[in-house]
Amino acid sequence: MQHSAAAQQLTPEGWLPPPPLPHHYDDHVSHANAVRFGMWLFLGTEVLLFAGIFTGYFTFRAYFPEAFDQAARHLSIVLGTLNTFLLLTSSLTVALAHHNAERGKNRNAFWLLAVSVMMGGGFLVIKGFEYHEKFVEHALPGKFFNFSEITAPGGPVFYVVYFFATGLHALHVIVGMSLLTWVAVRAWRKEFSPTYYAPVENAGLYWHLVDLVWIFLYPLLYLV
Amino acid sequence: MASTSTSHSATEHPKGGVGPLILNWVALLALTATTFGVSRLPIGNLHLPAAIFIACVKVTLVVLFFMHLWHAEGSNRIVFVVSFFFVIVLLFFVLADIATRFPLSNSRIPPMPQVDQKLVPSGMPPGMPAPTGSHTGEEGHR
Repeated sequence: MQHSAAAQQLTPEGWLPPPPLPHHYDDHVSHANAVRFGMWLFLGTEVLLFAGIFTGYFTFRAYFPEAFDQAARHLSIVLGTLNTFLLLTSSLTVALAHHNAERGKNRNAFWLLAVSVMMGGGFLVIKGFEYHEKFVEHALPGKFFNFSEITAPGGPVFYVVYFFATGLHALHVIVGMSLLTWVAVRAWRKEFSPTYYAPVENAGLYWHLVDLVWIFLYPLLYLV
Repeated sequence: MASTSTSHSATEHPKGGVGPLILNWVALLALTATTFGVSRLPIGNLHLPAAIFIACVKVTLVVLFFMHLWHAEGSNRIVFVVSFFFVIVLLFFVLADIATRFPLSNSRIPPMPQVDQKLVPSGMPPGMPAPTGSHTGEEGHR
């Protein structure tokens, strides 16, 4: 039962034969290109989703510069930098997993994906500690704000932006971890080969987008 | 068409090696250190542009090498470049609006002279709440 996929024979190279090609594609290259293009289109819409949040950030920053300055000083630069390191490194391991999957090295891809998922988990744990601190301080959005160390007007607005931006990003981290887990399981089953690795590539593209968003969030929230 | 069923004939050549990926990672970490260092420099108003510029460089590296847009088909590049272009359009017009706000009054009427608030009688019109707090001097600008 565990090896329902193993009913199929591994090819001599050591991977499962690729799934049948949908009949409207000439070959697996045109199929892979179409799949990849679809993912890029989706990522384009994701960019526009986060663009709205960044627009809000810049707008409210222009209205309440002192509050944004004070609030940024109450975020932990150490934790933010550590999280940046985790996400950048997990992007590397995901890229390496893609590199191995497209060469049929499924075991390598599995371990690299597993490490990536763990780094994503580490990111969320650290983010959880940061959120916990904000809840204890009542440094919270809107009417829940009751944090005496931010005296300039606009403190509650900063935390609306902060929690919405990082919260939506954390949601993407969770989705990305789920996708990476799913393709890791498939790599364990040796499903990927030079003719079929689109799931690893697309899950990886999603993960890199999560990284991209954080690359902008980190300096804007923590540093400047 | 006959060649499509074999595993090697129509294979895309795997592009790039492990070396460039690791080099890219090192560059990203170096840029992270740079953005932290720059944020501690006494450069005043340039902090935000500098941080955005470095973030753009990092994003470019991730997109080109981790996401393989360097090798990708042109159509994929168009999608991503266009979506970033629209982000810039959005940000530009919103920020241009905010940066050029002015008091919503008739500009031909000369502005009110600045009056020392301490000299103004403290009595309010009937029915108005008494002035409170320390922000009263600033309220007129918002």
